[in-house]
Amino acid sequence: MPRWLFSLIALAVGIGLGLFYGWEINPVQFVDTTPASMRADYRADYVLMIAEAYHADQNMDSAIRRLALLGSAPPADIAAQALQTGQSLGYSADDVALLQELRRALQAYQPAPTPVGTAPGGGPP
Amino acid sequence: MRKRVPWEVIPALAVGIGLGLLYAWMIAPVRYLNTFPNTLRPDFKDQYRILIAASYSATHDLVRAKSRLGLLGDADPVQALTALAQRLLASGQPFEVVQQVAMLADDLKSGVAHIPPTATAASIVSAEGPSATPPAPPAGTEAPPASTTESPTLEAVTTVVPITITPRPTPTATATEGAPFLLLSDDKVCNPNLTDGLLQISVIDSRHHQMPGIEIIITWDGGEEHFFTGFKPEIANGYADYIMQSGLSYSVRIAASGTPVPDLTAPICTDSSGQAYTGGLHLTFQQP
Repeated sequence: MPRWLFSLIALAVGIGLGLFYGWEINPVQFVDTTPASMRADYRADYVLMIAEAYHADQNMDSAIRRLALLGSAPPADIAAQALQTGQSLGYSADDVALLQELRRALQAYQPAPTPVGTAPGGGPP
Repeated sequence: MRKRVPWEVIPALAVGIGLGLLYAWMIAPVRYLNTFPNTLRPDFKDQYRILIAASYSATHDLVRAKSRLGLLGDADPVQALTALAQRLLASGQPFEVVQQVAMLADDLKSGVAHIPPTATAASIVSAEGPSATPPAPPAGTEAPPASTTESPTLEAVTTVVPITITPRPTPTATATEGAPFLLLSDDKVCNPNLTDGLLQISVIDSRHHQMPGIEIIITWDGGEEHFFTGFKPEIANGYADYIMQSGLSYSVRIAASGTPVPDLTAPICTDSSGQAYTGGLHLTFQQP
């Protein structure tokens, strides 16, 4: 057997051992996760909490800020996804109605435009 | 004749292990996509708790709030909420947020849902029922940990829930909003174990729930100081204290509203051996 073949086999075995150790014995520990990485049912419940709070305070800015923790997708899409998950999990009619209310409000939401400069003809030059 | 393994095998093996680890840890590490709330970063856990409190403030569903808090894996959820309320207060977060967190902590401690009194008519209902049951976990997947699977036959919590007559989006207004605070009691405290001249103040609402984040103004001849309730949650969320100087006369009032309580002085007490020492006062304010 040629010498280089020994080295090649050793390299392959080493890679295999490294992968086994890194994936099975001591994998990377994710302890500081984000809400975006939560399982779908937890994400849906998270959105339901936002919907419950929104139903009481009607504070859309606060709802959007909270939804932003669930990822970079548009807030209405996050709510729609949660609604879908909630329906598939058999959420009560009240909970589904809350999620629908939030989704509708997010779809209709138009953020106030940021004022740039002064209005035409108004204010000091 | 025995064949010798070439010496190059050892470094090749080491390089291989290194490459394997590089790939496993850096290039394609194990990905956790379906994580549990108890693995969240501490600041996200705080956001989660704030959201649970906001949701609870809207629904007054203590069973569901308890289940949700259970997902975070706190050894003592009440302590975690109380500490959070304190941090929020110290960092100047809106009073409403602090109050929601503190209210949930109080209600978890007492086991009874606290419904703010409203101007509308009220009826007695039970929190037990389908709406008190947390959403079910997805079929075919592992059940959420701990208390999400809490039995729906939990003790019924009798609460007063307002009959909503006003259509939404009007937020539920509390009758006590802005109502002046009244002095409920003014007690002389003679306890040699306490700091001399300790002025203890407790602020509660009409249902005797502690109120954190309430600003108190104390004035004396030539001076004034402001302080807040809630910085000593180990005593109570609506507690604050101040050290009075012997011989000075103070006036105390709640900043938001309320008439001043004048002529407060540290009393002189005597201990069991007849020795005089400076005692304290305990004022309790209530928002009716």
